[in-house]
Amino acid sequence: MEWKIPSLEELEHYVWRCTACGTCRVAYDFGPPPFYAPICPAGEEFGFEGNMSSKGKIAFARGILDGTLSFEDPAFLEAIYKCTVCGGCQTQCQLDHKPFIPEIIEGMRRKAVEQGYGPLPPHKNLVQSLKSYDNPYQGPRRMRTDWMRPFKKAGRPIKDINKEPAETLFYVGCTGAFNKQAQGVPVATASIFQKLGIDFGCLGQNEVCCGSTAMRVGDAEAFKRVATQNLETFRKLKEEKGVKRIVTSCAGCYRAIKKDYALASDYEEIMDGLEVIHTADFLHRLWKEGKLTFKGELDMKVTYHDPCHTGRHLNKFRVDTEGEELWPGAYLDVSEEECLYDQPRELLKAIPGVELVEMARIRGNSYCCGGGGGVMTGFGDWAAKNAGLRIAEGMSTGAQHMVSICPFCHYNLNAGAKLIGSEMKLYDLTELLDQVL
Amino acid sequence: MGTATAKKTDPVLAALVDIVGEGNATDALHIRYAYSYDLSFVEPKLPDYVVMASTVEQIQEILKLANREKIPVVPYTAGTNIGGLTIPERGGILLDLKRMNKIIEIDTQDLVAIIEPGVSHAQLAAELAKHNLRFGWPVGPPSASVSSCAISHGIGGMNARYGLQSQEITSMEVVLPTGELVRVGSCAIQPKAWHSTLPLPKLDGLFKGWLGTTGIVTKLAVNVHPAPPILKIFTVSCDTVEDMVSYMFNLSNYEICDDLTAVSWWLSQVPIPYPYRPKPDDAPEWNSYATTYSWTDKEREAREEIWQKVVEEEQARGSSVKVTHYPEEALRGRTQLPSQVVGSTKNYCKMAGAGISWPGTFTPAKKWAPVYTRWKKILIEHNLSPAVRMSMYRGVHYGMLRAMIPFNKQSKEETENARRAIIECLKIDLDEGGIPYKPPVDFAREINARAHPGYLMLLKRVKAMLDPNDIMNPGKLGI
Ligand SMILES: Cc1cc2nc3c(=O)[nH]c(=O)nc-3n(C[C@H](O)[C@H](O)[C@H](O)COP(=O)(O)OP(=O)(O)OC[C@H]3O[C@@H](n4cnc5c(N)ncnc54)[C@H](O)[C@@H]3O)c2cc1C
Ligand code: SF4
Ligand code: SF4
Repeated sequence: MEWKIPSLEELEHYVWRCTACGTCRVAYDFGPPPFYAPICPAGEEFGFEGNMSSKGKIAFARGILDGTLSFEDPAFLEAIYKCTVCGGCQTQCQLDHKPFIPEIIEGMRRKAVEQGYGPLPPHKNLVQSLKSYDNPYQGPRRMRTDWMRPFKKAGRPIKDINKEPAETLFYVGCTGAFNKQAQGVPVATASIFQKLGIDFGCLGQNEVCCGSTAMRVGDAEAFKRVATQNLETFRKLKEEKGVKRIVTSCAGCYRAIKKDYALASDYEEIMDGLEVIHTADFLHRLWKEGKLTFKGELDMKVTYHDPCHTGRHLNKFRVDTEGEELWPGAYLDVSEEECLYDQPRELLKAIPGVELVEMARIRGNSYCCGGGGGVMTGFGDWAAKNAGLRIAEGMSTGAQHMVSICPFCHYNLNAGAKLIGSEMKLYDLTELLDQVL
Repeated sequence: MGTATAKKTDPVLAALVDIVGEGNATDALHIRYAYSYDLSFVEPKLPDYVVMASTVEQIQEILKLANREKIPVVPYTAGTNIGGLTIPERGGILLDLKRMNKIIEIDTQDLVAIIEPGVSHAQLAAELAKHNLRFGWPVGPPSASVSSCAISHGIGGMNARYGLQSQEITSMEVVLPTGELVRVGSCAIQPKAWHSTLPLPKLDGLFKGWLGTTGIVTKLAVNVHPAPPILKIFTVSCDTVEDMVSYMFNLSNYEICDDLTAVSWWLSQVPIPYPYRPKPDDAPEWNSYATTYSWTDKEREAREEIWQKVVEEEQARGSSVKVTHYPEEALRGRTQLPSQVVGSTKNYCKMAGAGISWPGTFTPAKKWAPVYTRWKKILIEHNLSPAVRMSMYRGVHYGMLRAMIPFNKQSKEETENARRAIIECLKIDLDEGGIPYKPPVDFAREINARAHPGYLMLLKRVKAMLDPNDIMNPGKLGI
């Protein structure tokens, strides 16, 4: 399988589209009324222009390309990882490199890895674990199914899709499977699927990491290894087990399978007849079709946090590749059609007793939890501190709790709440839904 | 944690870290690099240190240190001035003030906003809207600083009604290059009174238009204004620059507009064509928008009546002026301010890439047409679009004459081509009595070459009095 993952040099043209105007430094909308808010977690924490938004990251890229900056300098190496790759800056930019901003950031990281400097030591452990255990958490393979135990005990075992056919593959993801605090997510997801009578199965111990974390920290080789393996598995499941749909409750896996895997030469062919869908979207669809109805009630005032990976990372940019409308490579426009902004909100509002109150920074201008892009692994304290800022924003709405659809955000925002001594808890949408079905 | 190195081997860095704390001062190359260039044609140059201050006391300490050690200090808020004004000519300390971003007070009775230097247009706009107040936002990045724009004689969307941003300044607190804290305007006499610079001697002039070479503004108050609800934009087109200037002369006499601006066809395109592309024959060469705000429909109608009278008068004398539709996106970009679209340079640079500079000037309106005609020739010869703007200021017949020149900064040749064309244009304007604003050093030299010797002497004397060791943004005045 061939992979088309661009190098920093291949992106140089786009690096030179940035005017250093700094519009990406804050989220802003004319309104009326006008909306303004800080948007870059790295800028908030470190403050210097190089750390700030895509303006700073592109300065770094320029410095690498013109030979001024080298990864030999450990402070610089660290600096390219002080970014959650959340895309908050990208939303603000309007120039031709807009669609490629995360690519440029990750392109620098890939270069650092290729040159033998990157990623950072904690990331290296993660990648090594990926090689040894097929997950980034150094968890033995058998532990992947720990979360399934209660189902087995209750006489409702989760179907092993390696052995039995099923229409739906529930791709659990490593965070849900191995991170104790986030295990509630797969448990709730599977419980809901069972209640709704969905024919689904899991790969169990044979599930392999989606590779998202490796990709985010620039280890394209480690990513390609697992991604290729996964794509081959998907092909097999489609052909041999009748799988028509891959559902995941993990925003990172979803983004990886939908976007990163599309860089593979065989992607179209393998995914032909296979739908990839996030659990929130899947359940929303069932609700719309009248197949999901609520039995209980939850007396709860909540706010909703848009994960970057189910939000602006799913923006579909239209680029004039051939120069038919403007000029070759011109950015034309963006569609938010695939961003999961409305589905979780509509589901939340539909739960009897739940009141949804919005934070100021939502949807395309959502403020990242601080855990993405390898930051939780590389800079755990900063990740939690940033999550604390987001929790504080949530609290300012008067909500009791925060809801999201990403096990990563789940873990990090709960860590943030703890750090600032907040009673606010982060629930996955599935955890709430499971209580009322 | 942080990018700062606490390498105590460099005593200056160690002293800076002592003042602002670990994480807020650094000599790391990658951090310095990000401050070494801007959008303009000005050659990149590195500072030796980057420091982020968050209190007035820290700024005082930094300046005392720099003055003692004779180290240059370059004040910085967002670096979007389009003139290389925060690119250090002689290294030194790049003093980033973005963290001093408090809106200290919005006094809805005195109609002043007291702000720190890091407050951005976007931030103040959002806050003022809560009080139904407004300010004349520039057509620049929403994330850039209100105070830096104001002290640089910036131009905003209400310049035809209230004057330039600098004319809106009512009081200031400043740290002198020698570290003393001073105040100018009413706040100098009564700490809580920020309402006006008059009738005191206008000492605020010591810090306005000096390009950060006389001190560091730490607090600034600007007048803000009630926001009338009814917006009416009068748009016309003309085939010739002469007709457009005549229309603007006529309309400006009535002082009914917040902004009276005309832009050449090339500037009304989103984006400006790069390289130069001829205008279609059937498209008028000039488009104008005149922004008006009214409290009542009757007031709007009265403004409309005056405007119609002006258009009829112009037509009666054979002008090509026509009531037209201004290109939609360009109009939104220039009237819905601050604008992310224009601020992110989409209107200007999207086609060219990375670079933009301008001959931006205050020029008597009677010279606009002849200067434009010569600019157009020069720019087309350099394969650049004559994307020119003319804006009439409050109650006077002079204003902004500016050509926005985007270029491909990846190419050294194309950057130099733009620089040469711009300097050529600038000389023509200077010779006609125009004065460039926010001038890069290349411009400053041209200004000084034409200056009255007494002006230069005074400039040098004032500068030496305030900054005896020439540490504040040295080299930028071209003296
Ligand atoms: C696309 C585009 C359009 C623009 N349109 C306009 C426009 O319509 N009108 C307009 O006026 N400008 C315009 N500008 C220029 C610029 O955006 C504004 O003037 C802006 O507000 C400057 O703020 P800044 O934070 O970028 O200042 P900087 O560039 O950081 O600083 C500007 C100058 O002030 C000095 N300085 C900064 N802080 C202090 C301080 N506290 N004390 C003393 N000196 C200080 C700096 O040394 C420098 O000389 C435009 C820029 C762009 C990129
Ligand atoms: S990334 Fe875009 S918005 Fe940010 S500085 Fe560059 S051009 Fe401006
Ligand atoms: S991707 Fe997020 S953290 Fe990284 S520079 Fe952009 S806004 Fe900041």
